Amino acid sequence: MKMKKTAIEWTIGAAAVLAAVGCATFPDAQETRGTAESMVKASFTAPTPNLLKRLDQDRAQQICSKIGKAELTPAEAAEVVKLSRASIEYPKSGKFAGNWKAGAKLAYDGGGDRIQGGRLEKRAHNGGLCQNCHGLEAGEVNVGNVGPALTGYGARGNSEAIAKYTYERIYNAWTYFPCSNMPRLGATGHLTPEQITHLVAYLIDPQSSLNRK
Amino acid sequence: MFTLRSRIAVLALICLFAPAAGAQNAGAGLEVGRKMLLEDNPGELWIDRGKRIFHEKRGPKKASLEQCDFGMGPGNLKGATARLPRYFADTDKVEDLDSRIVTCMVTLQGSDREQVKKSAIGRPLTDGSDIEAIAMYVASHSNGMKMDVRLDHPKEREMYKAGEYLFFRRSGQTDFGCVTCHGQPDKRIRLQDLVNMLDKKQIQAVAGSWPAYRGAHGISRTMQWRLYDCFWQMRLPELAYLSDVSIALSTYLNYQGNGAVVKVPGFKR
Repeated sequence: MKMKKTAIEWTIGAAAVLAAVGCATFPDAQETRGTAESMVKASFTAPTPNLLKRLDQDRAQQICSKIGKAELTPAEAAEVVKLSRASIEYPKSGKFAGNWKAGAKLAYDGGGDRIQGGRLEKRAHNGGLCQNCHGLEAGEVNVGNVGPALTGYGARGNSEAIAKYTYERIYNAWTYFPCSNMPRLGATGHLTPEQITHLVAYLIDPQSSLNRK
Repeated sequence: MFTLRSRIAVLALICLFAPAAGAQNAGAGLEVGRKMLLEDNPGELWIDRGKRIFHEKRGPKKASLEQCDFGMGPGNLKGATARLPRYFADTDKVEDLDSRIVTCMVTLQGSDREQVKKSAIGRPLTDGSDIEAIAMYVASHSNGMKMDVRLDHPKEREMYKAGEYLFFRRSGQTDFGCVTCHGQPDKRIRLQDLVNMLDKKQIQAVAGSWPAYRGAHGISRTMQWRLYDCFWQMRLPELAYLSDVSIALSTYLNYQGNGAVVKVPGFKR
């Protein structure tokens, strides 16, 4: 008899505490998603309706938007990898390594395609953005570290296999590291296949300033 | 007056004394520089200007902002911004500092809402907008106090959860979400330290630092501008001033930064 009463008292007590802190009244994940996605639709402007589509998530981005400490399941990781591999477009020339000097210019170029004051920063080609996150040439101080340092990348050789792998890593990094912080530069269209071949050359050409000691 | 020349001199001094070893040691030198720049913060001028504008009779109604309610009752500025964003019954919305200033400019002074919003963000190397100055003045009344954003009202909770969702939302050709740059420890973009918003101590170090003087632009800025600038860099469309996304993210980030000591003007690169 006494134990039953205690159980009831505990339940009432717990419920009272929960009500007091309002645990029951935070919106759940599904409701939050609906609210937030509606907010996205109503919170941005762009010079053309087409540019607003930049806010739409593709399937891989949706998977990769895990909240807090939530982790990718093996199935999700596999799906992102599969989608990424399918996205890869190879250069028309058939050559994975282009001109390293052109690549060097690209690697240090952080501009292109931003939207401000109702205008699109349209240039012939977008910058590679590489220097923002990666250390590039030896001895530089002004280097980011969001990504690994690429100094001396050419030490791993410049075979066809390495050139192809490097091309794929830049075109769509998620092929090898699903949901990586690295932008899928080729797959999203930020860079063209030809531009990526120049970046590949910048990384693997033994003559490249990136590989100079 | 803190001139550009003296700022360059400070930076040159840092370059002389910072270890020459390179990237790994850049952080220590930068920290010294930041501390020095904080001691003579041009942002203080915005407090003075904001105070003048706040107390002036302006707009069609020829009224000052003295009766504006920032959450602690009309005219009570002390500790008000430490509790923002929060729900306001008169507008039935969660509002941040910028929103509340605009609300009061419209209701107390009779100003046109769209006109006020259009001129909210000043041009670099100018005195800046009225809102930027008023924001600095109002926020200075919370200096020394701890951030204390509460999630009592359902709309505050809705904003918080939406803000959390949006923080992790990846989109655009860069595949960036806020988390991409602000979700790991010890990261930098070039020489700019990235605050890890998922670390309590790190976010507390910045939560109380807005509005802030943006050195490179020679002007003071509010959090509305900071969020806008992030979306610009991410190659995404323009974040609208006072939009729900901006309020949601501010609610989430400020709540995460609760306990931070307010210290404005902050100083940013």
